[in-house]
Amino acid sequence: MRRRVLVLLALAGGSLAVALLTVGPSGAQVRPPPTATGNQPAGPADVEGGRQLYAIACTTCHGAEGAGVEDRGPSLVGVGAASADFYLSTGRMPLDRPRSQAERKRVAYTPVQIRQLVAFVASLGPGPAIPRVDARQGNLPEGNRLYANNCAPCHSSAGAGGALGHAVYAPPLNRATPVQVAEAMRVGPGAMPIFGPETLDDEQVASIVRYVDYLRHPDDRGGLGLGHLGAIPEGFVAWVVGLGVMLMAVRWIGTKD
Amino acid sequence: MGASTAAKRGAERPDGGAAEGMPAERRIAILLLAATAAALGLAGVYIAGGQPQAEGALLGISLGGIGMALILWARGLSTEGTVMGDRGTLAGEDEDVEAVEEAVEEITDEPGRRSVLKLFWVAGGALVLSAVFPIRSLGPAPGRALLTTAWRPGARLVDEEGRPVRVETLEVGGFLTAFPQDAEHAADSQVVVVRVADGEIRPRPGRENWSPQGYIAYSKICPHVGCPVGLYQQDTRELLCPCHQSTFDVLDGARPSFGPATRSLPQLPLSVDREGFLTAQADFDEPVGPGFWNRD
Amino acid sequence: MSRTPITRRLFRWTDERLGASHFARKALDKIFPDHWSFMIGEIAMYCFVILIVTGVYLTFFFVPASDEVIYRGPYKALEGTTMSAAYASSLDISFEVRSGLVMRQMHHWAALIFMAALVVHLCRVFFTGAFRRPREINWIIGVTLLVTSIMNGFFGYSLLDDLLSGTGVRVGYSIALSIPVAGEYLAFLFFGGEFPNTEFITRFFVLHVLLLPAAIAGLLGAHLAILWRQKHTQFRGPGRTEDNIEGSHLWPSYAAKSIGLFFIVTAVIAALGGLAQINPVWLYGPYDPAQASAATAGSQPDWYVGWLDGALRIMPGWEIRVWGHTVANPFFPGAVLPGITFGLLYAWPFLERRFTKDRDAHNLLDRPRDAPVRSALGAATLSFYTILFIAGGNDVLASVFKVAPESITNLFRILIFVLPVIAFFVTRSACRSLARDKVHPFGGTVGSRVRRTATGGYELIDPHEDDKPKVGSVLATAETSPFRPPPPPD
Repeated sequence: MRRRVLVLLALAGGSLAVALLTVGPSGAQVRPPPTATGNQPAGPADVEGGRQLYAIACTTCHGAEGAGVEDRGPSLVGVGAASADFYLSTGRMPLDRPRSQAERKRVAYTPVQIRQLVAFVASLGPGPAIPRVDARQGNLPEGNRLYANNCAPCHSSAGAGGALGHAVYAPPLNRATPVQVAEAMRVGPGAMPIFGPETLDDEQVASIVRYVDYLRHPDDRGGLGLGHLGAIPEGFVAWVVGLGVMLMAVRWIGTKD
Repeated sequence: MGASTAAKRGAERPDGGAAEGMPAERRIAILLLAATAAALGLAGVYIAGGQPQAEGALLGISLGGIGMALILWARGLSTEGTVMGDRGTLAGEDEDVEAVEEAVEEITDEPGRRSVLKLFWVAGGALVLSAVFPIRSLGPAPGRALLTTAWRPGARLVDEEGRPVRVETLEVGGFLTAFPQDAEHAADSQVVVVRVADGEIRPRPGRENWSPQGYIAYSKICPHVGCPVGLYQQDTRELLCPCHQSTFDVLDGARPSFGPATRSLPQLPLSVDREGFLTAQADFDEPVGPGFWNRD
Repeated sequence: MSRTPITRRLFRWTDERLGASHFARKALDKIFPDHWSFMIGEIAMYCFVILIVTGVYLTFFFVPASDEVIYRGPYKALEGTTMSAAYASSLDISFEVRSGLVMRQMHHWAALIFMAALVVHLCRVFFTGAFRRPREINWIIGVTLLVTSIMNGFFGYSLLDDLLSGTGVRVGYSIALSIPVAGEYLAFLFFGGEFPNTEFITRFFVLHVLLLPAAIAGLLGAHLAILWRQKHTQFRGPGRTEDNIEGSHLWPSYAAKSIGLFFIVTAVIAALGGLAQINPVWLYGPYDPAQASAATAGSQPDWYVGWLDGALRIMPGWEIRVWGHTVANPFFPGAVLPGITFGLLYAWPFLERRFTKDRDAHNLLDRPRDAPVRSALGAATLSFYTILFIAGGNDVLASVFKVAPESITNLFRILIFVLPVIAFFVTRSACRSLARDKVHPFGGTVGSRVRRTATGGYELIDPHEDDKPKVGSVLATAETSPFRPPPPPD
């Protein structure tokens, strides 16, 4: 009898764990850090401040004046403010250790420092500026369609991310701010292709940004989202919770000899 | 799920008897009362406009309460424990079996009857064969449908919204999906267009002028089982299929480097017309999509 | 007369017209063994009932047409989007029909659990040898039920015409194409032309709502009728023989338990249907047959088709050419593998009979340990298909564990051969040692344990004493051991 209760408790606990774990990524209420620059334009003081910060932390891999170091870090000449802001505000840079891809992690700099570093990198050569994007200007259904055609194959329909080849993956999008989404599209970080202004214009980018923003809290009127990972968690729940409870019921109803 | 598990846990006692805790009738009554309340609640939720989680939970409690009450009640009914009975035999009495066999064989007793029976089989068989033909109307003959697409020499490439693809459209590292102009809804003609740096491409023999200014176009239909090859890993210049992870090397004629795909993606020969629009030189030089018997 | 209860009056009224009282009397007294594992088939059956009930409801609202419509419903993210009428009706069911979403989700959860219960039921029948004479016919009917149910599920979730299931239909079409000689013709015939097109939704509707459910219901009816006629099998036990049957009477005991189970099954499905979201088609968007150029990362079919998808993924890129024709790669994992799977399943009772030379009728069941080779083969087969299932999620595994999908795929390519072999030997030796030691693997010994004293009497062993049976002791349970007659009392 006690064993039966323990088994029931374990099942309930296990299901709860599954629910919590899978609700995690897309239901997260984490507030992303504000992007670096806000509305302040960078001035020459920022460039100088950025140069000093750069000299401390970045030259090992990216070389003096952003020239790049072979087999360690690419050249930063011409990558533009958008690229620097994207990598720094998502914490992808600086890398803490060699990785197969730069991943979002704890941001290492304050917003002011990021502004300075961005100004410095932008000064190295002409490149894409930080995009101005207002998600409210975007068209949600249009963004849905553009997202489905351009983004879903890698990032999945629900923005939960997905695998690419060679241990590289497209990350989940629930923590990306509108500016970061736009920056990523224009910059093409890592394995991601570049969606330049001639491929997708600013209006289309705004629509996509608006849709990605929606995906952070998608319509989950059906109940627990199970991580929006599709048939795999659904099958797991059907077996463990659905059939599991029913099997416990028949063990209760029937005999055991 | 949590609700009915909790309700079940509450009623979980050894084998329904009055051994510990509440007597069985009391537990059954509580379950049924809970079930009634839940059912009424469900009606209320519906009238108020409906809410899926409430509907599911209340329905579950109501049904689960009745179910558990039934089981507990059933246990109270069987005071005798289990019963033993005889299985009997399955096979029939010999005389019945023989009577049936003789009756069936009667129709073929005389030689004349046997050959008539054979003719019945022949006629029936021919009828069944001809009855198959209405089924043929279910689908057209394949013809050359799988061997060609809608691409024609000089057809301009347009993106999914119908905007023509120009030389400036993609930067190096960019990619998009394109269709033939005037055939934007020809699903078999979909191509993925990527732009790489000019010197990177290692064209196959005869394809040297198929990729102007770093633009390369391949059929987007995976040669494995036909999913759209929609992932582009820009840094390694590889196209990936999301379905079964076939990987294609863009610089080497989309040769499959991993996964179950066996053939390269067919390449669409491109050129740039005088106004700077991307056009196709001709249709693909092989059938697109998955393999089939008459592919060659 | 006026004091006779209504039930009696109703029964007599019916009996005078239909003459069922003789049958009813036998039926009510019919004995059903009530071991819990015999109810797994009932779970499946009740899931099927829920599928019918919820399915009928959905049929009133679903529009099985591929005509293009422009969505103007409450889900703003698809406002103005062109989609098929089928997909639009799926959205209507989910967003506009009151209790529509719960019905749709209950239907889908019931389908997943139905298939799971079918598989567990099949395993129970297999591992206990219940398919042996005279029950080969029911085994064949059962395997056919499995096949038709898998097909029905596939057509069902493809009806919604969303991006994910449309991709799956494409895969099915390509497998049909890969069949040698007749593939193109079969594919065009079945799908109504080159895929994608506007024919297949209506076709699938006819199959899913009319033909396959009718087949399943008919087969299920035959399955139950045969079971009724032959009487259910039973495990060995004290007093049980091949010629008797022990259990509860159908009325009132077994019927009440069974109906109670029905309510509980429905309760679980209802709770899942409201509390756990399944297949949120609005997030995937419509499948566009005109362009068909979109797909999503993490494309998996429903679990019961996952083994096929896994097979497609781990199959290496080999293709063979025969007489100048192509036998395309998907033919082997997509058509040959299921063919062998179900072929072996169908043939199994006859294969086992040939190898064991056991042609007797059996009404008593084996425990898995009583047939070590059968159990070992079953375990090997289960591990084979489990690897295929898991391989169907290789990209999701890769992104969750941050490893390359190539590594995972190659790992499965090795495991698919190695693991079944290991499973075979481990299971066979476990069965043999369990049969030898006569100890239940999970529950310990049954009843109280007694020990024969030197003078010939019995003494109770303290249950907290060392659990391993001591060499030389007569390990007999308080109830008679089913495998050895009790030693004569002295």
